[in-house]
Amino acid sequence: MADEHDVAHPTPAQYVKIAIGLAVLTAIEVGLFYLNDAVQLGWINTAALLTLAFLKFAIVVGWYMHIRYEKAAVSRFFTFGFALAFSLYAVVLISFGVLAANR
Amino acid sequence: MTAAAHEAQSPHQDLHESTGVENRKLAMWAFLSSEFLFFGALITNYLLYSGRDFATGPKPSEIYDIPFTSVSSFVLLMSSLTMVLAHNALSRGDQGATRTWLLATAMLGSVFLAGQVFEFTEFITLENMTLATNPSASAFYVLTGFHGTHVAIGVIMLLSLFGLSKRMGGLTNRQFLNLELVGLYWHFVDIIWIVIFTVVYLLTAVPGAS
Amino acid sequence: MTTAAEKATTIFRRPRAETGFWSWITTVDHKRIGILYGYTAFIFFVIGGAEALLLRIHLASAESNVLSAADYNGLFTTHGLTMIFLVVMPMSAAFMNYLLPLMIGARDVAFPRLNALSYWIFLFGGIFLYSGLLFSAVAAPLGVVPGIPGNLDPSDARSFGALPDGGWFMYQPNAGQEFSPSLAIDFAALGLQILGIASLISAVNFIVTFFNLRAKGMRLLRVPVFIWMTVVVAFLLLFSLPIIAIALFMVTFDRQFGTLFFDATAGGDPILWQHLFWLFGHPEVYILILPAMGIVSEIIPVFSRKPLFGYAAVVFAGAGIAFLGFGVWAHHMFSSGITTVAQVGFGLTTMTIAIPTGVKIFNWMGTMWLGRLQLKTPMWFAIGFLTMFTIGGLSGVTHAVVPSDWQQTDTYYIVAHFHYVLFGGAIFGLFGGLYYWFPKISGRMMNDRLGKVHFWLWLLGFNMTFAPMHWLGLQGMIRRTWRYDPSLEAWNRIVSVGAFIIAIGLLVFIYNFRTSKRRGEIAGMDPWDARTLEWSIPNPTPAFNFAEVPIVHGLDEFWHQKYTEDKTGRPIRKPEADEQITRLEEIGLNPPEPVHLPNPSYFPVVMAMGLPLIAYGIIFHRSIAGKALIVLGVVIALAALIGWGSEPLEEAH
Repeated sequence: MADEHDVAHPTPAQYVKIAIGLAVLTAIEVGLFYLNDAVQLGWINTAALLTLAFLKFAIVVGWYMHIRYEKAAVSRFFTFGFALAFSLYAVVLISFGVLAANR
Repeated sequence: MTAAAHEAQSPHQDLHESTGVENRKLAMWAFLSSEFLFFGALITNYLLYSGRDFATGPKPSEIYDIPFTSVSSFVLLMSSLTMVLAHNALSRGDQGATRTWLLATAMLGSVFLAGQVFEFTEFITLENMTLATNPSASAFYVLTGFHGTHVAIGVIMLLSLFGLSKRMGGLTNRQFLNLELVGLYWHFVDIIWIVIFTVVYLLTAVPGAS
Repeated sequence: MTTAAEKATTIFRRPRAETGFWSWITTVDHKRIGILYGYTAFIFFVIGGAEALLLRIHLASAESNVLSAADYNGLFTTHGLTMIFLVVMPMSAAFMNYLLPLMIGARDVAFPRLNALSYWIFLFGGIFLYSGLLFSAVAAPLGVVPGIPGNLDPSDARSFGALPDGGWFMYQPNAGQEFSPSLAIDFAALGLQILGIASLISAVNFIVTFFNLRAKGMRLLRVPVFIWMTVVVAFLLLFSLPIIAIALFMVTFDRQFGTLFFDATAGGDPILWQHLFWLFGHPEVYILILPAMGIVSEIIPVFSRKPLFGYAAVVFAGAGIAFLGFGVWAHHMFSSGITTVAQVGFGLTTMTIAIPTGVKIFNWMGTMWLGRLQLKTPMWFAIGFLTMFTIGGLSGVTHAVVPSDWQQTDTYYIVAHFHYVLFGGAIFGLFGGLYYWFPKISGRMMNDRLGKVHFWLWLLGFNMTFAPMHWLGLQGMIRRTWRYDPSLEAWNRIVSVGAFIIAIGLLVFIYNFRTSKRRGEIAGMDPWDARTLEWSIPNPTPAFNFAEVPIVHGLDEFWHQKYTEDKTGRPIRKPEADEQITRLEEIGLNPPEPVHLPNPSYFPVVMAMGLPLIAYGIIFHRSIAGKALIVLGVVIALAALIGWGSEPLEEAH
């Protein structure tokens, strides 16, 4: 527990700021979606949306789920599960030719 | 961390080599990491079938209501804020604020669920897309349905904590951990929706459909 | 514990019995749960074995009519499901439950009541799976051509008595509604779902126990290999079960609620099923074999009078096998039309698995090399494991070669391969463990002579049964066949005789087990002069395990309490070793201070009861009774949950 004292948890005000950040990211996502409707952005759209989603994901896991303040064991578990799921299913989708065919 | 969290530690801990993470918390993290594989399979199903053409339509990607889903996604995202505020309030020992934020979280979760019920109803009645329309529709309903089930279970747990706090006049040190675990679960359900919203809705929606 | 716990009230009076029927129903003691797992798995082993014997009686002649084609399909499917999910997995779980706390120096697992819940869910899941016999009708599979031998006679249809008949892999759409109309598939899909929940709960439980409850000083590289394999298997379960859960949900939804995941006529993709199934199915293979590898890694050093050769390498090889095991699933699908790139890639990853496996095999041999071998029954089984598993492993490598695999796919060669690894490997290892830890559990020794008779009967019968299948397969005898070419009859006869020799061996074991349990020689402390912590406490294990929680100073802690080394590295028994053991026994039986144990509870068994009710409800959901069953199941599970939550783990003291 000792090292948890070293890093202070965010204050409520900081939590609200994080939430505003998340909201802005979501707004950008939706905006990008409509922009893509007007001008086809192709892979840039896909890459940008995935990056934004990953950012939101990381922010929630890092600050709201406090994984930044947890023991290494916890983040290793979690990262491993995520990485495993991501890579296994990516291989499945690639073998179906889905990732190539998808816009 | 807080005194409450310290008390929740096992009293026998000193006798063991340990990660320093409380047993139940470690169990929750292990469970959540396995849930990635669970939802990953469902998202994979959806992505596989959304790229294909079927004799019978429509596919969900052709009938998404993006503005509506954006709003309900925003609602779920904000419920993570209220959840973390509940956690923060209890760690400061503010029982009243804890209850308020717990209830707010449950409410936001319920709004999200209501949105999902509305979405399903629209798709079924107006767009004639049921479970059995085509594999893409099957995958969409089963994926979002399982996510919705997770949200519903979360709402029940939040309301139980709220009720417990109301009845006992506050949550004890022991229950601090319960709140933390429910919080972890709740945030997890939220991050899964972050992925679903982007990958399943925004990325596969057919341009001009919404 | 805490004030909140003291204040809490419970709905029922707490169970008090310490012996007799109710004490077993309400137990949360990991040792008793392990014993329950063991007996249950053994009963299923006998059932699955009887199914195999029926199959072999039928296949003893090429044009036999002992079984109808439909019953034949049902029996081979159920034999597979039983042996995998109801025998090898729970029998491994029996050892894990019993030994995990003992070998790491803990009083129990992290969540004793969840542990009980796992067992009851497993038991009810198994019963649920078999209960399909009462509800599902035997129906003629579609696509049969009348008048051709091997097809089902419509008059064979019965109103009940069907077993799931789609193979344990339940390939779609063959196991879908159209081609397998019998409810038995629904029972299998939901039964496996229930069993999966049981395994997932134990997996989480074991992982937390492993990471948080090791005795002081037991650093990660001081943990016995069996416990390492336990936690590796727990991780495999943790990450592979969600995949099969989804796949089985998809089957259930297809069959019950009209989704079209695997309906090829509506655009569903049967290959998706194969991917999801084998994404789970291949890690499952290692879930079955790794515990046996762990057991053998405990037995061989003890009976070779040497430490395990390359301990760290064995541990890392085990973890490596598990990790690689996630990346090879498509080698089950070489003939399904996956791309050439995928075939090459998965062929290569499959070959790499041979490396860590080879590391293990050589380390076991290195342990035996120049050891003073004591050929007691457990050691014979370990040697049997080593040799038979190596044969099975080598035939496995031949599947990695894609063109060769195309020849072998769906032939008896495959049947030979996986029986060499799962019977010659897993079952030999598990029975070795049974002989080895029997004194720990019962306080008495198994009869060594009968044990050796059992071993040799099995080795003979096993090889007679499964070795000829290699050449039968290479000569083109396909799997799951009800009829075969009469030219193959001679070898099939030998196979069938071999199966009965295995059965006789099992009878010898049962006799030995029963008599030894009652009249066997008293084991006393440390009958094998063993190395690990579980032998440093009296036999049979006291309810509280360790009177004093041990402090660990190294690998093979108990051994180092008894032995030291001379200059050449040869072990020398310390003069005070016998005294030390006597003292350990005395302390072990009389704890210096009272030990508080978790109290028994009704709630795990009650909660587990909810699940099969929900599953029956889903199968019959079109009727009012079905819907009522779902509600009833949910209510029971929730009521148990509330009771569980309001009842502290330990009574205030």
